Amino acid sequence: MRIKPLNRRTFLRGIGGVAVALPALEIMLDPHGEALAGGAKMSSHFFIGFHGQAMGGDGDPVPDMYRPDAFGPSYNLKAATMPLGNYGDVRPDVSIISNLRIPYNNSGPGSWNTAFHLGAMPPLLCGVSNPDDSSSCRGVTADQVVGAAIGSGTTFPTLQYQVQPSWYLTDSAPYGRDIISYQDDGAGGVIQVPGQTSPRAAYMALFTGFVPPDPAEAAEVARELARRRSILDLVRGNIERLMPRLGAADQLRMQRHFDEIRALEERLAAIPPDATADCMMFPDPGEDPSIGGNNATNGGDGFDVNAGYSDEDARARVFSDLVHMAFTCDLSRSVAMLYTMAQSHMNVYGFTDIPYDLHEVGHSIGTTEAVSQVLAWQLDQFAYLVAKLRDTPEGAGSVLDNTAMVLLYEGGHGLDPATGDLNRTHSTENMIVTVAGRAGGFVSGEHIDGQGMHPVNVINSAMRAVGVDQDLGEVVGTIPGLI
Amino acid sequence: MTHAPRPWWLLALMVVAPACYGGSGGGDGDDTDGTAGTGASDPDATADSSGGTPEAPELGGVGMIGMRRLSSDEYDNTLFDLLGDDTQPGAALLPEDVADPYDNQIVNQMASRTLIEALEQLATEASARLMADAPRRDQVIGCQPANATDETCMRSFATSFGRRALRRTLADEEIQRFVDLGMQIATQDNDFHIGAGAMLRAFLQDPEFVYRVEIGTPTDEPGVSRLNDFEVATRLSYFLLGTTPDDALLDIAEAGELSTPEQVRAAAQGMLTDDRALPRIDRFHSMWLGYYRLPHSAQLTDAMRTETRMLLDKTIMQDQGDWRSLFASTGTFVNDFLAEHYGLTPPGSEQFTWVDYGASGRRGMLSHGSFLSVQGSYGDTSPTKRGLLIRKRLFCQEIPPPPPTVNVDEPPPTVDSPCKIDRYNMSEIDGCAQCHQLTDPVGFGLENYDQQGRFRVTDNDLPQCAISGDGTIDGATFNGPAGLSDLLAEQGLLDSCIVFQVYEFAMGHGVAVDDERYVDDLVTSFGESNYRFDELMLNLVGDEAFLYRREEEG
Repeated sequence: MRIKPLNRRTFLRGIGGVAVALPALEIMLDPHGEALAGGAKMSSHFFIGFHGQAMGGDGDPVPDMYRPDAFGPSYNLKAATMPLGNYGDVRPDVSIISNLRIPYNNSGPGSWNTAFHLGAMPPLLCGVSNPDDSSSCRGVTADQVVGAAIGSGTTFPTLQYQVQPSWYLTDSAPYGRDIISYQDDGAGGVIQVPGQTSPRAAYMALFTGFVPPDPAEAAEVARELARRRSILDLVRGNIERLMPRLGAADQLRMQRHFDEIRALEERLAAIPPDATADCMMFPDPGEDPSIGGNNATNGGDGFDVNAGYSDEDARARVFSDLVHMAFTCDLSRSVAMLYTMAQSHMNVYGFTDIPYDLHEVGHSIGTTEAVSQVLAWQLDQFAYLVAKLRDTPEGAGSVLDNTAMVLLYEGGHGLDPATGDLNRTHSTENMIVTVAGRAGGFVSGEHIDGQGMHPVNVINSAMRAVGVDQDLGEVVGTIPGLI
Repeated sequence: MTHAPRPWWLLALMVVAPACYGGSGGGDGDDTDGTAGTGASDPDATADSSGGTPEAPELGGVGMIGMRRLSSDEYDNTLFDLLGDDTQPGAALLPEDVADPYDNQIVNQMASRTLIEALEQLATEASARLMADAPRRDQVIGCQPANATDETCMRSFATSFGRRALRRTLADEEIQRFVDLGMQIATQDNDFHIGAGAMLRAFLQDPEFVYRVEIGTPTDEPGVSRLNDFEVATRLSYFLLGTTPDDALLDIAEAGELSTPEQVRAAAQGMLTDDRALPRIDRFHSMWLGYYRLPHSAQLTDAMRTETRMLLDKTIMQDQGDWRSLFASTGTFVNDFLAEHYGLTPPGSEQFTWVDYGASGRRGMLSHGSFLSVQGSYGDTSPTKRGLLIRKRLFCQEIPPPPPTVNVDEPPPTVDSPCKIDRYNMSEIDGCAQCHQLTDPVGFGLENYDQQGRFRVTDNDLPQCAISGDGTIDGATFNGPAGLSDLLAEQGLLDSCIVFQVYEFAMGHGVAVDDERYVDDLVTSFGESNYRFDELMLNLVGDEAFLYRREEEG
């Protein structure tokens, strides 16, 4: 008897006629347990992370203590990459692509001009050239492309999380250094998509509608969900009634607001997945860690070692747990995570004993060794998430087997085109991108030669790994040996 | 602190009841005129006497403006006035406002998923806090429900609270929609207060709560509309007090008594006696000069803010004197802690007391720790940035940014000597000189004051580098805050820029072509009133153009 295959989102009538969604039961998988019985690929998961970090210190001839000594598998760990040995050693799941660069002096696809902050960041995120070194991308980012391509039917087509919650300086503002996601505005341009800075708010949003095991709690969750929907229904109706009375410019503003209300309504209407051994609402992380105060300086004398830090370590962990659950429950297939802002003024004293902000370490301490301490702290967080995905079964393997992750760094080490100086942090020479996962033939566990290509070529490779056959911005093609 | 005695006839005007979060429900909604969906204030009340299309102001000056979202500061103040909620949740949950330098500029207010999620969470939690606090809850709701489905009480709450939350009288069908929601939930959950809470959450997410929507009535000039009295009340209240109109102001609006410049000005005069007027003026100044967030210990920050606020109070509210004298004052308010910090003679008190500057070289706000603490670099003061602050903020002068080939992340390098006066030699470098000679010599005139406002004679940690404190501005030399202050006064450099700044703060956008007549008149009247800041605010709201809006282009 041939078992009739079921669609992944098939619903059953549960008790009381409430529709209940199913996770990937065996009945839905093909005889090998590797793909859905209907022949469609199992959904993939895409992650893109960003650190406002360069690889070395100003003036230090050693460009980094990150890239392994040889290309190929079984690569060695260095000062910055030691944490990849943690969590049962995630090296088999992680590849490092070195020898990448972003062209500057407006000299190629996805290039910038000469002002590293903020000019080098947009080409890294969206692959579109930035001839006037503006702080904004001129194209959409990969999380949005992937979400649009493979995320339909999920509750969150894309998710954006932001670990560093504050700029930490009094006299200025991020002006785009806190944005790594840009979406189409429907009128030929793009708009910024800020990330959620509150782990607790992200937690409540992700697990909207999840049914607690206790029946009394479950009933209250259902009632509160119903209330929220009724309230938003009235709010949305009032916006609809107000809209025709507004002028054209106000209508555009209100339309943005309206679209987000509609999106929230859709998320509230989505049927949450059934709890399984792996997909569940984990315990409430509690109140967010308090936000650290600003610093007047970037380090040294007058630097308050107790300011400029909001326990980003704990925040990163909660967000990582949420990403893990978002993938495991198939609530989202595309996540962008800003760990640290470009030109980050987050205080690194708590985990390095260096009384400076992250960005200033590269300038004032100016050694690749010091910078590598910060990189190691960052990589530990990435390794933590990689391990969680590795340890969660999915289909015939793990969630990580169906995932492509990309970790981007703001800078490399080398020539600063603004000043002509060598061995500088304000450089997009000698860039490194770290990846993880095995979706769609994505190669893991190797040190791969980027052959002077663009970091966006790595992003293109990751997109293809999750079934999105597109190039980002002006940068065409993938990294040989990565997929 | 006491106010100067006011003329008797000012007291005869309406008294504004402060912080009145108890909206006593009162009526059952019969006193609305039921105008469908347009807000109940009768449009004809704002028209000219013939009852036809209103006329645009002859003198023009009506600027383009769009709807304005409540900043997180305004949101928290509003929540306090509506519900007595003093937890300031907006500051924690709302996406941070871009302060450019003001936190309320329309061009920076773009809706996002994080905004919508935050607004929902804020509404849910504020409602839960209220319903858990029975005395506060009962005062806000204004009636005791007889049972879970007491529709009379639900409607009374919707009517009184709806008027406060949406800042206008609601039409019957609008109220009914909120009541229907409240009753549906109250019935479902068999609990009146859960139903009332749902209604409250809807009000706090309503577009007309979150945004200050201005529609008004079109005039005979294309693009120009006459605001209705509720819209005027909202403008007044958020500008002068940073919060939502209270019941007294809404009553005046509803009676059609905010429809002439004279009426508006009279209402504003009353509002300036409100306890919240000074904090609002303080907030404006702190954003104007960038000291609203000071990177010091809580005690020092608090002391510096108190010092400056008390000078603002004395000059603007009590003496009603020349605003420019903020920069010329020959003394300051300090307590022992702050006096010792500055090296001034302590007044012998924990209370802030007026202390004369004597021969210390200090003068006015340029000597305040608040002003001196901002715009540092590389762990120290930056003469370039201080000079830039003075040029941009005090004189409204535009200085172009550095070219991309300059790495402003690194301090100017040591040349022959490590002394700042030698390292900051950009005024000598071709290509840099044009801008730096405008900024650096001004900043160097204040170099004797470090980033905490303390006096020093040498560069930090460099005893061989004496600081002269000599500065130059536009060819004239000076030394220290006293010298600079005298120059500013002599050359009338402070006479008009502040007007543009206040306008931008009030309107949520910079001065454009259409605003020019309005702002020019404000500059003139500012001078004619001997530079009284309270008069500037009153003239701003009392101009005919304040009662109108112009549609944006495109």
